[in-house]
Amino acid sequence: MSAEPAMRAAETAGESIVLRVSRYLPGRDAEPVPRDYEVPLREEWSVLDGLNHVKDVLDGSLAYRWSCRMGICGSCGMTVNGEPRLTCGTFLSEFAPGPVVVEPLRGFAVIRDLVVDIEPFLGKLASVTPWLVRNGAEPPPDAEFAQTPEQLGAYKQFSMCINCMLCYSACPVYALDEDFLGPAAIALAQRYNLDSRDMGAAARFDVLAAAGGVWDCTYVGECSAACPKGVDPAGAIQQYKLTAAMETVRRFLLPKGAR
Amino acid sequence: MTEIERHSYDVVVIGAGGAGLRAAIEARQQGKRTAVVCKSLFGKAHTVMAEGGAAAAMGNVNPSDNWQVHFRDTMRGGKFLNNWRMAELHAQEAPDRVWELEAWGALFDRTKDGKISQRNFGGHEYPRLAHVGDRTGLELIRTLQQRVVALQQEDDKLHGDPEAYIKVFQECTVTRLLKDGDAIAGAFGYWRETGNFICFEAPAVVLATGGIGKSYVVTSNSWEYTGDGHALALMAGAGLINMEFIQFHPTGMVWPPSVRGILVTESVRGDGGVLRNSEGKRFMFEYVPDVFKDKYATTEEEADRWYTDQANNRRPPELLPRDEVARAINSEVKAGRGTPHGGVYLDVSTRMPAEEIVRRLPSMHHQFKELADVDITREPMEVGPTCHYIMGGVEVDADTGAASVPGLFAAGEVSGGMHGSNRLGGNSLSDLLVFGRRAGAGAAAYVDGLTARPKAPEEAVRQAEAEALAPLEREGGENPYTVHHELQQTMNDLVGIIRKADEISEALGAIEKLKERAGVTGAAGGRIYNPGWHLAIDLRNMLLVSECVAKAALLREESRGGHTRDDFPGMSPEWRRKLLVCRLDGSTVNIEEKVQPSMRDDLITLFERDELKKYLTEAELSEYDALVEKEA
Repeated sequence: MSAEPAMRAAETAGESIVLRVSRYLPGRDAEPVPRDYEVPLREEWSVLDGLNHVKDVLDGSLAYRWSCRMGICGSCGMTVNGEPRLTCGTFLSEFAPGPVVVEPLRGFAVIRDLVVDIEPFLGKLASVTPWLVRNGAEPPPDAEFAQTPEQLGAYKQFSMCINCMLCYSACPVYALDEDFLGPAAIALAQRYNLDSRDMGAAARFDVLAAAGGVWDCTYVGECSAACPKGVDPAGAIQQYKLTAAMETVRRFLLPKGAR
Repeated sequence: MTEIERHSYDVVVIGAGGAGLRAAIEARQQGKRTAVVCKSLFGKAHTVMAEGGAAAAMGNVNPSDNWQVHFRDTMRGGKFLNNWRMAELHAQEAPDRVWELEAWGALFDRTKDGKISQRNFGGHEYPRLAHVGDRTGLELIRTLQQRVVALQQEDDKLHGDPEAYIKVFQECTVTRLLKDGDAIAGAFGYWRETGNFICFEAPAVVLATGGIGKSYVVTSNSWEYTGDGHALALMAGAGLINMEFIQFHPTGMVWPPSVRGILVTESVRGDGGVLRNSEGKRFMFEYVPDVFKDKYATTEEEADRWYTDQANNRRPPELLPRDEVARAINSEVKAGRGTPHGGVYLDVSTRMPAEEIVRRLPSMHHQFKELADVDITREPMEVGPTCHYIMGGVEVDADTGAASVPGLFAAGEVSGGMHGSNRLGGNSLSDLLVFGRRAGAGAAAYVDGLTARPKAPEEAVRQAEAEALAPLEREGGENPYTVHHELQQTMNDLVGIIRKADEISEALGAIEKLKERAGVTGAAGGRIYNPGWHLAIDLRNMLLVSECVAKAALLREESRGGHTRDDFPGMSPEWRRKLLVCRLDGSTVNIEEKVQPSMRDDLITLFERDELKKYLTEAELSEYDALVEKEA
């Protein structure tokens, strides 16, 4: 419980709910401290609306990330009552009568309050060569590649990722080993591996099948359950395990020059 | 006095949306050491929210399309106030920019035979928007972001340092541009994370900061859109044009309040959605203006046939340019035919099967289900106008993106001219790519032409530091959020879709008072990731930009595109030739009139006389007649 009484706006009338927000300011706090804020409980208010109310009315120093309010920028991921969620799409009423416990995404270093360090995550994404690899082959002369709707369908789902990091926060393997490449990065690799225009699968194999790659996944499936965009990173990982196993056998059997 | 982190670059790009990233990629391709400085996280810029697509006359779906048709549509949409050279370059180069994006890995929805598919959109004569579902902005930003990473990995191999030629400074806000005499010498800002200051020494700065929507209460824009680039340019001595023209997107969500203003993509209408008032009437047929009469259907039957047979039918009036649709909705609501929450109905549920809605508009289906608990396959949406885009911005040279201040460049929403008085949907993503690239190249060429690097005086750096620190040092100052909310309400109520002289004057009075109050705001809570402090700094920008909008809106005594004057309802050919240029004099915005250069002969003759006579003065029409006669 919070030591201090909940902060509330003088004019708050009607129903309200307590947001129990993790506050942490390096240099001031030895560790994150929960702080209670009383915010209006309106049916249509998301947790993000509650946080904005705190910032605008009760305490302007509350730090958290957000941007689009429509579930596409992937900035507002936090831990809400223990689960990784996008706060713009999570409603206060789901947790009535409260309190609603809001903490930073687990698995990442906290910078202040609800803001976490995302650099390690960006590094993982960059490591899987997330662009079209053409190995010197030029695009077709008539300005664009041909790609049928069926070919597009093979990888489209894995392109829906909004880099919100909820899947890392949910992943029990990543919680134990921060070197694990992780769900979003592997799904991103598959987004290109399965793209009919791409020729980079061999290069990505060296990252995906290496230590920290797909074989570390124990297929708990929490990542796909947490994903707000239906990307199904667990499916991507399982799919690639099969590809990787075949590729390993192929590389073992074939002479080096023929690989 | 604290230590300030210092960096030296050839080109500093402010903003990491589509325009900023494309500019940075170009500057790096031209061998320039480039910094990208952005307020939010890398890859989360406002561009990510764009839904409909990028307009490019590739002719994949209808081979009759070409750059001339696109150029004509763009000029029409902007009511002929556009910088025609920008509209020309844009129409000519947009296809190359889309194909380039595809070569970098962007995915697009495809036609059956595997070509990039193109969709219909308001004001575009042919299906023209390259798209992926209704999340085109996400794909565009992701592709550019990953292109930057690819270049960094290339540089790592070549130079042993991934950030040798392009480095991203994320969650870093620029508060001042620095100058050496007349020329740009760098930029000053702070890290949001630590609150520590950072100073870039650079001879060229590309502004790509987007728009100003956070000056309004009901807006589709996110917190970043505080007019930073507009204000930085003003304070550096550059001029802003067309600031009176603001696009209110006709279909924002009006309910629930927490998502008020969030966009409902125009593709809903492009794919068959219709607008109805509370009486169930499809009211847009009543609102087709004379200039568009021959291009839009007059009956529901014809409009409905158009979706399957575009060659033999005219388009549904729901697909009129955005300014027309926004004003129509506004009129319906004012006449008492609005929905319970003050909008109108946008319905797809009675127009196509549920599965098709989910397939064609997946994000919209998701958005309404998640955010409003409305199933758009079963019931209509409630929608109304929302502040979406500013046509006005930094006056730039069309070919290079150069502003009047040497070393300053601008691209994307922060620049002005391309869209005239109203932007067509889909012309924004293509604008970002075409002019982002051009501004990056312009900045690189400018740096190549310099004989000496400008250097900012240390005094200017210290002044910028003191200015940024002021709100933190003010004990018990006014809450910046209160000032912000009052500004938003003022602009929404008094300088919104429909404007009147006395209301605009009232707004200007209120802005003056708010400027004083913004000068005494305080922010408790220290320098580490403190949003209250950040807003106190941003307020200066929003107030300056709001002053530009209101002053220009008061002067322009006509109605055109994104500027509707209740007291001057008609379009005036005299006003069409005039640009209003905002400049900063001390702390006050002054406005001067400037004549728009006449269109080049080969461009003006792309139009029929009948159309031009709706826009041009008699003198201009005589010139046109003489030209046609000479060519005949």
